[in-house]
Amino acid sequence: MRLKKNRLFLLVLLLFAAPAWAQHEGHRMGAMGDSLAWRMPPMDASMPMMPELMGQRPMIAPYLPGEGMDPAMVPEARPREVVAMADGDTLELEAGFVRRTLGGKTFVMYGYNGQYPGPLLRVKKGAKIVVRFSNHIEMPTTVHWHGLRLDNRFDGVPGLTQAPVESGGTFTYEVRFPDAGVYWYHPHVREDIQQDLGLYGNMLVDSPDADYYGPVHREEALILDDLLVDANGLMPFGAEGPNHALMGRFGNVMLVNGAPDYRLSVKKGEVVRFFLTNVANARTFNVVFGGAPVKIVASDVSKFEREEWVGSVPIAPAERYVVEVRFDAPGTVALTNSIQAINHFRGEFYPHVDTLGLVTVSDEPVAEDLGASFATLRENADVRRDIEAFRPYFDRPVDHELVLGVDVDGLPPVVMQMMAMDTLYVPPMEWNDAMPMMNWLSSVKEVRWILRDADTGRENMDIHWTFDQGDVVKLRVFNDPKTLHPMNHPIHIHGQRFLVLARDGVPNANLVWKDTAIVPVGSTMDVLVDMSNPGDWMMHCHIAEHLHAGMMLAFTVRDAGGADD
Amino acid sequence: MLSRNLCRCAGLALALFAWGAPTPAGADVPPDVGCRADTGPPEYYRIDLVPTKRVPGARQAKGVGYVTFARSPFGVALTPEGHYVYDLAVSVEGLRPATTGAYVVWIATPDLGAVERLGVLDADGSAKGRVRWNKFLVIVTLEPSAETPGARWSGPVALRGLSKSGYMHTMAGHGPFNQEPCANYGY
Repeated sequence: MRLKKNRLFLLVLLLFAAPAWAQHEGHRMGAMGDSLAWRMPPMDASMPMMPELMGQRPMIAPYLPGEGMDPAMVPEARPREVVAMADGDTLELEAGFVRRTLGGKTFVMYGYNGQYPGPLLRVKKGAKIVVRFSNHIEMPTTVHWHGLRLDNRFDGVPGLTQAPVESGGTFTYEVRFPDAGVYWYHPHVREDIQQDLGLYGNMLVDSPDADYYGPVHREEALILDDLLVDANGLMPFGAEGPNHALMGRFGNVMLVNGAPDYRLSVKKGEVVRFFLTNVANARTFNVVFGGAPVKIVASDVSKFEREEWVGSVPIAPAERYVVEVRFDAPGTVALTNSIQAINHFRGEFYPHVDTLGLVTVSDEPVAEDLGASFATLRENADVRRDIEAFRPYFDRPVDHELVLGVDVDGLPPVVMQMMAMDTLYVPPMEWNDAMPMMNWLSSVKEVRWILRDADTGRENMDIHWTFDQGDVVKLRVFNDPKTLHPMNHPIHIHGQRFLVLARDGVPNANLVWKDTAIVPVGSTMDVLVDMSNPGDWMMHCHIAEHLHAGMMLAFTVRDAGGADD
Repeated sequence: MLSRNLCRCAGLALALFAWGAPTPAGADVPPDVGCRADTGPPEYYRIDLVPTKRVPGARQAKGVGYVTFARSPFGVALTPEGHYVYDLAVSVEGLRPATTGAYVVWIATPDLGAVERLGVLDADGSAKGRVRWNKFLVIVTLEPSAETPGARWSGPVALRGLSKSGYMHTMAGHGPFNQEPCANYGY
């Protein structure tokens, strides 16, 4: 009986939504022809659209890099190269246009040194390199060396540590690597466009300790991303600032290392260490390695205190995780993003799986059996020793408390009404773009994401905290669920490292040094920041559209030697 | 919760007073205008347990469930299928002590397709356990014994509640509770 009722309701809903279907079709077919006109975002065809939204467009102009360029005149991008760099070496790094072919379609995108992703830099801990950067894209840019505790003047933040590098301009960075692990570099200007279109690359920093990680047969650095395209090509971006300002720009083509067809062949019994980096604008992935056993080893800036078995790897934008996987059984293992997506119209969660790549496991056994070492979960005494010095600060009072929220004004009335109704339930995390039309319509003109200092009421760049080098600071971050449209936020702190001490009052029993951590809706996260690196630094949400919609603050760490006094 | 509402009101009042009088950047602002965090389980995802009339003396009982993410190396705890993994803490007061048997807490998917026993309410009216579903029911029943042999409850339901995600039924369908007076619960 219930089933019949629901079916009847859905039938009625679909009948009412009939004009919207036509609208979907028109947009899907790219009927407008002009790729610089706004086109409705690709969306699940089962999702009826509100009639009031038909014909609506974002209140900003569309923009598409490379528009009008003949792709044939743009060099074809090539897969990334691994560049081993020694202390004192110099790298020439160039941001430029590249031609990409994805799914049989040709796009003009960006690349560092003509590669996708940018070159993978492999360096030793403690090294310092010089990067001579030149900008050959049409807009200003910078390079931010994400997660590195490097000299402040090379952090790549326009208006704070350097002037933007104009088109045709150059800038020389000195980059040092004080911590082992996996890091990445990307622009800090219009990240929603530049990063999304390919300006990102990894850095692997090797410890001098040969036993830093457990033994493996091979290492793979995987950069996870997504790209939003339709039949006409790349979906336009906002010219004056991002659209998709509510939830961030979710893509519909999943990319691993810049390509949709990641493949790996291994022998039976091989143990692979994967360095995972999420460079997507907004998407948090839940990475699953089929049924293969997965061991979590490290995250952003260090190893964990102890290794653990995990069933999947939830990884938010800008986070990194290091996992080791043993492929025991011959066959094909799918690397997937496995989530419970939301259909707001039906009020339900539904399983959704994206295949990110395939691992083929041959019948041939690997020469050296690492089964015994893989089965052992290591305790990392070096990490514990490092953290021990900070333990006396764990119970210190909170120094600053941030409340995360949003102001929305000026969106079409039906969108405002829908969001007001939608507050009946907001999920802790948004795994898919469950409201693609409303999200696409929203821009930085209507949406302002907020970091609010609970003590002073100041918001975003009106906040400016000052610390002294050597301070150990406790920050509390609360993601207010009662704001109009709350969402999870990956919070990134530049130039320092921090420990997540507790979430929702539950102490963290396995610590790891981080530079980015996710704050689900309604949650409170306590972090302890090691203010070791002097200079002027940013703290912000790493959803690119939220950052550009205001969700950032600055703080100063005064040099113990007095240089920044 | 109350303090957060109060400070929300204060923020609203401040915003109203500030209308037309923008505060220049760098100017001093009054302290403590921001809302504060809860440091325990998220209040937003609290599950209110509603008494039934099926157990004598249970009508005045009330209960609550709180979810926190299960411990995980990540910021959220998930199954490989993407379901949230929560630690659920149930607390009930006002129940007449069971003269025979015990109060047992169960969790179930909304269609009752899957049921799991969370645990027995202790003398303080508390029970804890783990949930691996995004949308679920919490049911407190009076069972003949604390060692309920069955996979499902057999005794009468004393209280029941619905995870906050159960509110997500506004657009097209009302989930399993078509007949429930949701307005009574505030949604």
